[in-house]
Amino acid sequence: MGDKGVALWEVVTVITSCIIAEWTIAPFAKGRGFVTAFPILLALGFMIFSHWYRGENLRAIGFRLDNFVAAARILLLPTLGAVIGILILEWLLSGPEFVVRPVRPGLLIVPVWALCQQYALQGFINRRLQTALGRGFKVTLLLGLTFGLLHLPNPLLTSLTFLGGLMWAAVYQRQPNLLAIGISHSLIALTLALGIPPNLINGLRVGFRYLN
Amino acid sequence: MKKPSISLVHILIAKSIIETLFVSTLVVVYFLDVFPHFHGMGEVTPPTISGWAVNSRNPNERVEVHLFIDDKFVARTIASESRPEIVVGGWSTDEWHGFTIPVSAMESGYHEARVYAIHGSGRGARKTLQLLGHAFRFLVTSDGTLKALEPSSRQIRPAVPEKSID
Repeated sequence: MGDKGVALWEVVTVITSCIIAEWTIAPFAKGRGFVTAFPILLALGFMIFSHWYRGENLRAIGFRLDNFVAAARILLLPTLGAVIGILILEWLLSGPEFVVRPVRPGLLIVPVWALCQQYALQGFINRRLQTALGRGFKVTLLLGLTFGLLHLPNPLLTSLTFLGGLMWAAVYQRQPNLLAIGISHSLIALTLALGIPPNLINGLRVGFRYLN
Repeated sequence: MKKPSISLVHILIAKSIIETLFVSTLVVVYFLDVFPHFHGMGEVTPPTISGWAVNSRNPNERVEVHLFIDDKFVARTIASESRPEIVVGGWSTDEWHGFTIPVSAMESGYHEARVYAIHGSGRGARKTLQLLGHAFRFLVTSDGTLKALEPSSRQIRPAVPEKSID
């Protein structure tokens, strides 16, 4: 099997781990500490091994500061546009009852979680898709679809993450900086969590937990 | 960087196998947890419906049973009365798994009863009902007396018990 095939297989295996975590843990092993974390730890371990195997360092993956400003500059307008767009959507959906909910301690995890997601999505999947298919819109589209797929069956989140996935994948191909992309992701996620009526996003739940 | 001796393809195959085993184990453990096998039966013993229920995975548990007549819930109770034949048959090491549910105010005519064992799991998030034995029919006469119409759903134990009973 050639390197392109292996790279695609790597993408599929990480997506599979995410799907297992989202769709089998909640119904079959809810609240069982290590079991819950197992598929994610397995995927993380695999991704670290793969980076090592391919000789990729943190800088290559996107944990770097030298292109932070350049990446942030590209992200500024789309992120601002997304935040304003979401606020308008929230206002339209809530009508005169629109309120920004108070910041909860649980939201402090959002930036860390956003960075983790972007690492897996851009730092791993985007890079492997580029290995298999080259740079360009095809990879960007696949990233958007993948990110949306992983947020099923939450319809609003699936739509928004598809668009977000397109944006972040395109930016990563130009300026691979996960910190800037993580901040952009955090701002948009917090805007969603604080403004969208909970019944529409169901607490940002995805997978089987969305149905519960 | 020096390449490790084990290839990425081997790791991918290993990961796939581990995930397959992981999901399979989850499903099997879930199934055993949610659907333990219950032994038991129900029968008409005028003026009551009685029987017994034993959780085969935890024979010391006192099983909750629900009685349905004509597909309508009638009563619930805990199977904790004496039924010596349970020990004789080797279903459990103690006899306190019987139940008796009085049946009254039934319309005269033919009826069908089902007794279900109730099992809770997932810290009370899930409840399952398992039919004990099989459904059995009975007649309520005009004076309100219950009459069995067919042999009870008594479970027959093999002549030689599969496991020794202390």
